[in-house]
Amino acid sequence: MLKVNNITKYYGTLKAVDELSFEVLPGEIFGLLGVNGSGKTTTFRMIMGLLEPSSGTVTLDGKPINYDITDTIGFLTEERSLLLKLTVLEQCLFYGILKGMKKDEIIARVDYLLNKFQIPEYKNKKIKELSKGNQQKIQFITAILNNPKLLILDEPFSGLDPFNVQFFEDEIKEMAAKGSMIIFSSHRMEHVELFCKKLSIIMRGKTVLSGELKEIKERYRKKNIFVKGDIDINKIKLIKGVVSVEAINDQFIIKIAEAKYVTDVFNIISKMKNITKFSVEEPSLNEIFIEKVGESYGQ
Amino acid sequence: MVNKLKYLTMVSFKRKVITKWFVIANVLLALVLVGLFNIDSIINYFGGDFTSNQQIYVIDNTGKSYDIFVANMQEITKATSSVGDYKYDISNYDGTLKEAKDKIAKDKKIWLLVFDNDATNIIKATVVSYGYIDTINYQLLASSINSTKSVIALAETSISEEDLAKIMTAPTITREYVDVTKKTTDENMEMIMSTVFPMLILPFFMLTILLVQMIGAEVNDEKTTRSMEIIISNVSPKTHFFAKVIAGNLFVLVQALLLLVYAGIGFVIKMLTNPGFDSNGVTVVIFDSFKQIMKTNLADKLLYIIPLTLILMLITFIAYSLVAGILASMTTNIEDFQQLQTPIMIVSVIGYYLSMMAALFDGSILIKALSFVPFISAILSPSLLVLGYIGVKDVLISILLMMITVHLLIKYGLRIYKVGILNYSSSGLWKKMFTALKD
Repeated sequence: MLKVNNITKYYGTLKAVDELSFEVLPGEIFGLLGVNGSGKTTTFRMIMGLLEPSSGTVTLDGKPINYDITDTIGFLTEERSLLLKLTVLEQCLFYGILKGMKKDEIIARVDYLLNKFQIPEYKNKKIKELSKGNQQKIQFITAILNNPKLLILDEPFSGLDPFNVQFFEDEIKEMAAKGSMIIFSSHRMEHVELFCKKLSIIMRGKTVLSGELKEIKERYRKKNIFVKGDIDINKIKLIKGVVSVEAINDQFIIKIAEAKYVTDVFNIISKMKNITKFSVEEPSLNEIFIEKVGESYGQ
Repeated sequence: MVNKLKYLTMVSFKRKVITKWFVIANVLLALVLVGLFNIDSIINYFGGDFTSNQQIYVIDNTGKSYDIFVANMQEITKATSSVGDYKYDISNYDGTLKEAKDKIAKDKKIWLLVFDNDATNIIKATVVSYGYIDTINYQLLASSINSTKSVIALAETSISEEDLAKIMTAPTITREYVDVTKKTTDENMEMIMSTVFPMLILPFFMLTILLVQMIGAEVNDEKTTRSMEIIISNVSPKTHFFAKVIAGNLFVLVQALLLLVYAGIGFVIKMLTNPGFDSNGVTVVIFDSFKQIMKTNLADKLLYIIPLTLILMLITFIAYSLVAGILASMTTNIEDFQQLQTPIMIVSVIGYYLSMMAALFDGSILIKALSFVPFISAILSPSLLVLGYIGVKDVLISILLMMITVHLLIKYGLRIYKVGILNYSSSGLWKKMFTALKD
């Protein structure tokens, strides 16, 4: 288990991370969300042992993270951490051996992963010759080369097309299924929703929202009602509890302040013409994120 | 389990050596060095001539100057043999002045000397050449002409031939030193080494620049690509730092050995193409000096000068590579590093120029003091030792000071390195580094 216990990090007088705590169990995918400069990278660096917390502790299976156990961790940085002059195999050998792997073992794993990501022809190509998306694939491969016990993914989908995002998703889920602990950071909330059961949203280094995704959504009182049909928007806006009505493509999204107003909305809409859809859904993580972070910005 | 220090060192070393640019640079270096060692043969091939003697035609309108002039030239060239190999073919020219000038216009290397009687100054001389004559040759000519005039003047007085012979014979000069440690051989050596030593330490200067730039470029490459974060998450900054320093120095040693090999090849080619080794070209400065050195007791001195110089240079290389690593860790791109390394290069250049001019500074306390200053000492201290201005004890002090510098660089530089390699912002840089030093 990864345990981040009340860590704080100061850069001079600037508090970059403020008493942050969370736990990640084997097989769990944990989302660490926040706007740029919120302290995610600093947190990752402290987990990796690159930075010493000003206070608090980080342990992996009860042991502090040091160079004795970093061989069991995989790290994908937000920016490309590849040596562009090297070939794909040279880069993988370099990082793999630094992780304590044997050369034959690395070559076999590289072959397997390149085939899995459908780019076996790039094995001996220089990284600088690859497209941005393929470089990101190679970076991901280098992060999971050692089948890490703990995998830290800082914006893993950056520069990827939807087709390749799917490859990454499958691989991440597969690793979690095998028991890896995965920490995940992304600005793309739909990705976080797909993977993470638990998450923390941080703002200026401080947790503003934390817990199980399901609970977070349930706790969030606002709901969305999706409606298809000929509706009178002005009439709906007058219903008590309706926050807004938006027309998106061929449907309307009615945001309500609390679940208890669903019946009132339904009673009025049911009297309107050609209603083919009335669906009450949880708000998206994106909405929750924007609202929570927005509140924090305001403060 | 792989030894990560060894692995990182070898990776770093191979990245420097197994590249097409290293091969290209070394092919060029080999060509340049072999070419330099054989520059006289190359110039000869394209029409230059360093082996033939300088031809001088003499038209003696006085009827008494030619033989005396030839004798004087022989005396003077013999007396100046230690500073250069000046050889002349002097012959009496039977034709007219115009014919001689026409000949010079065709064969531009010939000089013509015309002696005429002069009512007031006994004789006068005209030196005709196609172009300029270099200073030393001109001075030798002028001295011989002056001596010729003196001999004629004395001969025209009532002085006996015996006395005239005494006057013309070069006097015996005995050299004595109040300082009992000084020797004539060392005096010659000083003159020779003041010319030769700066040439020998030039590769050290070049390799220093190469070392600093290579380490800086590599650390910056890893920083700008952010691969530093992955590397440092697997090996400690200390391991990473030492790997760069060891690999850099290993590279410099290999490059230095290769330069020696190229010089050796050049030397062998010269021996094969010019077995007599009796040339008069540009490279003879080194070869002639080598011959002169062998005549002195420098061979014995080299037994301690070479090891001391090598030890001092090796420690200085390590110090330079430590500084390069520290500075590279502080900067966020290669352009900033190149600006930051300028002061180091200036220190190195100062050391080089001081060593070149060291022969002018005998007795200067400032120069002696500067020879102890770390980084400058690597070049200046051996130069002064060779010249005899400082002793072995002084060089040992320089080595000790350099070792202390290396120790301090490791102790405090590592603190900066640990913080610097993961710093990507130049704002508040110096504050961050000073804070790191205190931690």
